[in-house]
Parts: sequence; structure tokens; C-alpha cells
Amino acid sequence: MAGFVDLNIPHLPEKESLQKLVASAAHLGYSTVAINYVIDYEEKKKEVVKPISPSELFTSLPMVQGKSKPIKILSRLTLVVSDPSHCNILRARSTNIKFYDIFAVFPKNGKLFHVACTTLDVDLVCINVTEKLPFYIKRPSVNVAMDRGIYFELVYVPAIKDSTMRRYTISNALSLMQICRGKNIVLSSAAEKPLQLRGPYDVANLGWLFGLSESNAKAAVSTNGRAVLLHGEARKTAFGVVYTMKKPRTPDEDDSTPATKKVKMAL
Amino acid sequence: MIESGDGKGSKPSSYERIVLKNASEYYYLKIHLEFEEVGISLNAFEFKQLIISALKQLHGEVGAALPVDVLSYEEKNLFAILRVPITGLVKLWSALTLLDTYQNRKCAFRVIQTSPFLLALAGNSRELVLD
Repeated sequence: MAGFVDLNIPHLPEKESLQKLVASAAHLGYSTVAINYVIDYEEKKKEVVKPISPSELFTSLPMVQGKSKPIKILSRLTLVVSDPSHCNILRARSTNIKFYDIFAVFPKNGKLFHVACTTLDVDLVCINVTEKLPFYIKRPSVNVAMDRGIYFELVYVPAIKDSTMRRYTISNALSLMQICRGKNIVLSSAAEKPLQLRGPYDVANLGWLFGLSESNAKAAVSTNGRAVLLHGEARKTAFGVVYTMKKPRTPDEDDSTPATKKVKMAL
Repeated sequence: MIESGDGKGSKPSSYERIVLKNASEYYYLKIHLEFEEVGISLNAFEFKQLIISALKQLHGEVGAALPVDVLSYEEKNLFAILRVPITGLVKLWSALTLLDTYQNRKCAFRVIQTSPFLLALAGNSRELVLD
């Protein structure tokens, strides 16, 4: 069975609180987490920063509950887009962008949602859960996204924090489920405090409120998250065959850089 | 299969095979209430009230009418075992998941185990290491 995945741990400026958050995720049983960096064009926060590396954050990674293995920490970039020109950053291979494992977009209107589903080179499309959905989710764009292996992300912490947001979360989730029938959904937290995080089994159960079936809800916290990671990996290297070679490394070399990769393109 | 007895006096022992489907009508949950600060204590009555208010917040009056029983409650470390009918499991579990405050203090319910059989709560399957 694939391990449990939480793809949205927001990047907090204080290192200490981020450490606590990751440690409590490991304690709850998540075997992989992704630290989320948000770029919002309306807030003029345009520069892509280099993501924090796990070795910088922890001297020894926290152990996952029930697995006796250390937690895996990834990085994820989320673009909040309200104009098609904002997506250029994904095409322009700028210096820091290659360090991210997963790309996500947060479309602000229906046109951009369609663009994100059909043409943009991303892994995740975020669904707004804090306010009423400003557009209708259309079946053609969702079908194309499902064919391309793009997943939709629903965030559950706003539902815990506030009762009006809980209403919006449930109604937006249900309207999405009507179109995609419970497939290609990823449930993640976006928790800023350790107490807002919930265990993976609790989140899978919460999927029932969002209109998922039992098996789809469990997939939304485990296998679908893994599929997103693999999609991101394929995008980073090549869409065809990836051939890696192991090279003996000196201990002082940085662990976060991947081993030498030989990439071969298939048809 | 029925074994034939060797001795003359012993009766042949008979075997019976019974298959029960959904034999248990209840589900049991082992839960832990976690607070941000330390040293907050609730008595069993307040604990039950908190669970009912959580159910009411998410599922309304119908949810609050769900027959939930607190079977055991440890006041000093806030561990409890709940019993709920099978049809109400998802309702109770989601209500506990979406609760975040008790008297304006941040808190969280951690569901440690769930099982249709009370005996299964004696060991923890989630922390079981197989390899």
C-alpha cells in the first residue's frame, strides 16, 4: 500500500514552527509531506525563492508512526493566477524553479481553470474552498485534466477553523464531485498549526462529507498523492524513460541534490 | 468433517460452521483529546457534552440525537472509548474531526483506533510494525 501523503504544509517563516508541523505530521502517520510555497501576483510576491532543504530543517528527520522510516519532505510551488500571463513563469525555466518537485495552480476564474486543466504543465489544480466558487466547473475541462493525469486539490483546514468556510468547503467539494465522480481528488491540510492537522484515517473519513466513496476517499490521501509526485517527477525529467545511475558519493556532498541522471527520451 | 470416535463409549464430536455477516451492531472508537496548553481537565459529563456539541455543530439536531456512549474515560490523560451504532460511525467521526475549540481553547480529537469489536482496542494496529 502506498503511504499517506499530505501535499500542503504551508511554508512558515519561522523554522521552529515548520519543524513542529512536520514532526506532528510524521507522528500522525503521514510518510510524505510537501512544503508549499505560494506566489501571488496580486500581492506582488513574484520572486521564486529556493525551497528549504530537509537537511537544513532537521538534523535527523522525524520517524513516521508505525513505519520506522523517516518522513520524506518535498517542495511544492503554488501559483495564484488571475491572468494567463502569470503562467509564463512555468514555461520560462528560471533559476530557482527547477528545485520544486510539484507545481500547482490556483485559478481565479473559469477561463483560467480551463487553461490549467488543458494546456498548463502542472500537477495539481487547487479548488477554492474559502468562498463561493466563482465559476462553474465544466465537464470537458475536467475530463481533459483526468486524461492528462492532473489532480484536483481540496483543502480541509478551513472547514475546521470556521463554520461558514465549512459550508463553502462542502458545497464546492460536492459540486466538483458531481463532475469528476470522486476520481483524481487529493485531500490535503494547509494547516498552520500542529493542532489543525488530522490523521490520515480521519481525513479519509472526512472525504465522505465531500461526497467521496470509501475507496476513493482513501485513495485521495494515499495513492492519488503518490500519483501527483510521480507526475511531477516525470515532468521534471522526461515524459518517457528515466534512467538513473548510482554514483558513490563523498559524505560531505549535499544529500538533497539528486544523483547524476541520464535522461533518455522515448518516443 | 466429522471424526469417528475410536472408543466405544465416546460420542462422535460434532462440528458446526456459522458465518456471521456484520455481526456487530456497534462500532468502538478509542479517542484522545489534545489541547494546546497543558493542565486542562474535563470531567466525564463535560466530555460527553463536548461530543454532543460537536455532533450538533456538523449534523444538527439529528446528529445530536445519535446514541453515543462513553464507555470509559480517563480524566487525567483525556483518553476515552466511545460506542456508536454502525450507521452513525461516519457522522460521529467526521464531527470529531471538525471540532477545534473547547471553551475558546484550541483542541483536537485524535482518533487512535476504530473497530467493531471492543477486544480489538486492546492492541494498536496502527503502530504495528510488520517489517
